[in-house]
Amino acid sequence: MKILVCVKQVPDMEGRFNPNAAGTWFDEAGLAFRMNDYDEFAVEEAVRLKERLGGEAEVTVLSVGPDRVIETIRKAMAMGCDRGVHVRDEGAAERDPWQIASMIAGYARSRAYGLVFTGMQSLDRGSAQVGVLVAELLGLSCATTAVGFSCDGGTATVERELEGGAKAVVRLKLPALVTCQLGLNNPRYPTLPNILKAKRRELVILTPDELGIEAPLVATAGFSRHERSGACTVLEGELDGLAARVIDLLDERTAVLRRGGGR
Amino acid sequence: MQESREIFWNVGSGAVPVMYLLSLAAAGAMVLGFRRLVGVWRQGRPLDRFDRRRERFTRFISESLTQRKVLRVPDGGVFHSGLFWGFSAMFAGTLLVMLQADILAPLFHVNLLTGLFYRLFSLVLDLAGITAILALGGLFVRRFVIRPDGLETTREDGLVHALLFSILLTGFLIEGSRMAVTEVRDNHGLAFWSPVGLLAAGLFASMDDATVRSLHRGLWWLHLLLGLGFVVMIPLTKLRHLFTTSGNSFLAPLEGQGDVATIDLEDERIERFGAANAAELTWKDLFDADACTACKRCQERCPAWATGKPLSPMKVVRQIGLAAAQSPSGSIVDDVTRDALWACTTCGACQEICPADIEHVVKIIGMRRSLTLMEGEFAGDEVRKATTAIEVSGNPFGVAPASRGSWAVGLPVSVMAEERNVDILYFAGCYASFDPRNRKVAESFVRICAAAGIRVGILGAEERCCGEPTRRMGNEYLYQAKARENIAAFRKYGVTRIVTACPHCFTMLGREYRDLGLEVPVEHHSTFIAALVERNLLKLAPEPFGCTWHDSCYLGRHNGIYSEPRGLLKAAGGALSEMAPHGPDSFCCGAGGGRILAEERTGRRISAERVKMARQTGAGTLVSACPFCLSMFEDGLAADGPVAGMKAQDLAEIVAARIRG
Repeated sequence: MKILVCVKQVPDMEGRFNPNAAGTWFDEAGLAFRMNDYDEFAVEEAVRLKERLGGEAEVTVLSVGPDRVIETIRKAMAMGCDRGVHVRDEGAAERDPWQIASMIAGYARSRAYGLVFTGMQSLDRGSAQVGVLVAELLGLSCATTAVGFSCDGGTATVERELEGGAKAVVRLKLPALVTCQLGLNNPRYPTLPNILKAKRRELVILTPDELGIEAPLVATAGFSRHERSGACTVLEGELDGLAARVIDLLDERTAVLRRGGGR
Repeated sequence: MQESREIFWNVGSGAVPVMYLLSLAAAGAMVLGFRRLVGVWRQGRPLDRFDRRRERFTRFISESLTQRKVLRVPDGGVFHSGLFWGFSAMFAGTLLVMLQADILAPLFHVNLLTGLFYRLFSLVLDLAGITAILALGGLFVRRFVIRPDGLETTREDGLVHALLFSILLTGFLIEGSRMAVTEVRDNHGLAFWSPVGLLAAGLFASMDDATVRSLHRGLWWLHLLLGLGFVVMIPLTKLRHLFTTSGNSFLAPLEGQGDVATIDLEDERIERFGAANAAELTWKDLFDADACTACKRCQERCPAWATGKPLSPMKVVRQIGLAAAQSPSGSIVDDVTRDALWACTTCGACQEICPADIEHVVKIIGMRRSLTLMEGEFAGDEVRKATTAIEVSGNPFGVAPASRGSWAVGLPVSVMAEERNVDILYFAGCYASFDPRNRKVAESFVRICAAAGIRVGILGAEERCCGEPTRRMGNEYLYQAKARENIAAFRKYGVTRIVTACPHCFTMLGREYRDLGLEVPVEHHSTFIAALVERNLLKLAPEPFGCTWHDSCYLGRHNGIYSEPRGLLKAAGGALSEMAPHGPDSFCCGAGGGRILAEERTGRRISAERVKMARQTGAGTLVSACPFCLSMFEDGLAADGPVAGMKAQDLAEIVAARIRG
């Protein structure tokens, strides 16, 4: 079986997100990048499936973005993907989900993948649309928020996470696309021999035009960063003084002490 | 009167060829025994320990003859040295007799063993023999009667004791029986030069000549056979340490302890990393196992063992020896266990005290490398998280790298990207950059530099974790990646002098980055500040205070810095009270070896143990010069609850508070 995993490189969420010059997205300066968490679950599940199936299975990992995403593709290959596809697109960060999906579908259409894994959503844009749109464009059956996965012959069984921790089990016919949620698996840490092998594995570079990128359907008009209102207060100093200041703060900002009627 | 003795008296010259034939056979058996051992050692990976032979040979002679390392611990050490010197003297005496009997007498017709020299010869050997017997007795009482904690005794130990004792005893009985029918009767003056022999002669006084002579002959053959038995037994028992332990004083590294080999990640032929089995360790690691005498000194000093964790450096070495002999391709990691491997703080206390120069830490790191690089395993999820954070953000906290230089905003420090005309590059390290407590240390250091007129630069956002915790945890790949990023930044700004307040960064940048091409001199802030004071660039206004100094493992044991920080404390007005284990015997804070990234899940907390030692000095301040130690001590002191009376400070904070002017 041929398996495709789609991964995105996202900024580390600890960074400071400032609007870019146009005010339409964040400025990348000073940010550290990594593989989207949910996509790591997708890679792990694809590799596990390959290992279960044995010799005949092959996993391709695809990522859209500027040259820095190669690092993420290599990491996925170090985790066990066989081949890499880099859709070189400097503008990827500001593309809408429809455009990204159109490129992925453009690549996958003629290649007959039995299963496609993607993350449930990305940590930065978080639209949770790309996987679903790819499934629609390719005519695949689709299940989202997978926390359990198994595959038997032509049928995949997916455990889905529902609100409040409830779960549902769905069955879908292959070819299918599954978007992966936290709890699906525990992604492996690449071993050094695999990291070194990944450097020598085939990496195909393609352009958006070659894959038939479509015009956007949604444009991001503005970006503003989260202003922390109730940020935590760190008190430092001698123990005796600290207790008094905690009481003052509680009194001043909350009603827990119920003095003077509170709020 | 003749002042000599007849060699082979009463035994007859016919015994000589038999004696030499038997000796040859025994020596042959010993060589065969060692050949088998050499075969075991050669299963290991190659390592050059035969370079700089003159230096190595000098160390070999001085360490083995003086018993310097054995004597560092008087318990067991004093008796061992007595036995060693006694036996060595008697061995030399036996060689001299051989030289006399079979070379000097027949070829040159010379007799050395006569006159005053013979009298002294007799006296010295008698005293050597009695010293050896008493020392052996002491060791016997220690091992079989007192039975110190942790000392493992097997049947082999009993056998070796019995053998040594019977050799010494029969030696004196031969002498006594000979003297009873010769010197005691006809040369009493000479007999007094063999006081122990004279005493032994008393046993034979009432017997008739013929009986004594036949007893003597029997004892002589018994003594010979026991002696040759000893020779055969050397490679087969712990007695092999005669060669292996002394040999290790030749083979031990000439560099400071703790250096781990840098893996060539460009070499595509390497497919396996670290040591999953005995054959993947170096031959020296397997040799070490045969140099170990199970004296348990390492185990006693291991902070992990002392706090109830499943790691004993001695057991690790012995498990390696067993695996090398029995199943060189079996999993040594499973034998030692993961929990034991992850528990090591790489503090090096084991190696420091080891009388056999065994290198424990590199073995543990070798096995950790196998777990990390070949299996993708971690000491815990928190370590995995921190490792990923180092990979992505360049620090174990996962804080955005862009804010790495924020601590210095408003301080007299320039970021190299903006101003590279500085006197020193201060490599702040992750803790001084992000940990609020250690930021104060960085601020103190900057104030000291400002007072001394030193212009300080930092890499700021371009600085990365030095890679030490991850390297010690076995992740060589990530270490090299971060090290290369740092080195590239140093080169970009033409850095010529680096100072750091972290002994771990100091060890990486100053020593381990050498293998990756960094040649810039690197100093630790303790010696750097001490030099400022020395050269009068920094003037202090001493203020009396009581303190104790914690020798951080990577400052003291790993880099030999002991006196400068103590000198600085005194210059600042400190009255120093030493903790019981200090200097090279210092006790780890618990955070070395990458343990700073890990939760301490088993046993008692190492930091609490060290804080307890500090409290016992009665000093008001626990001073160290390492961000890991400081963090551990703050935790350790806080865990004691609101007990007044002790605070933890960095050396730079002490000095900064006493700048004059």
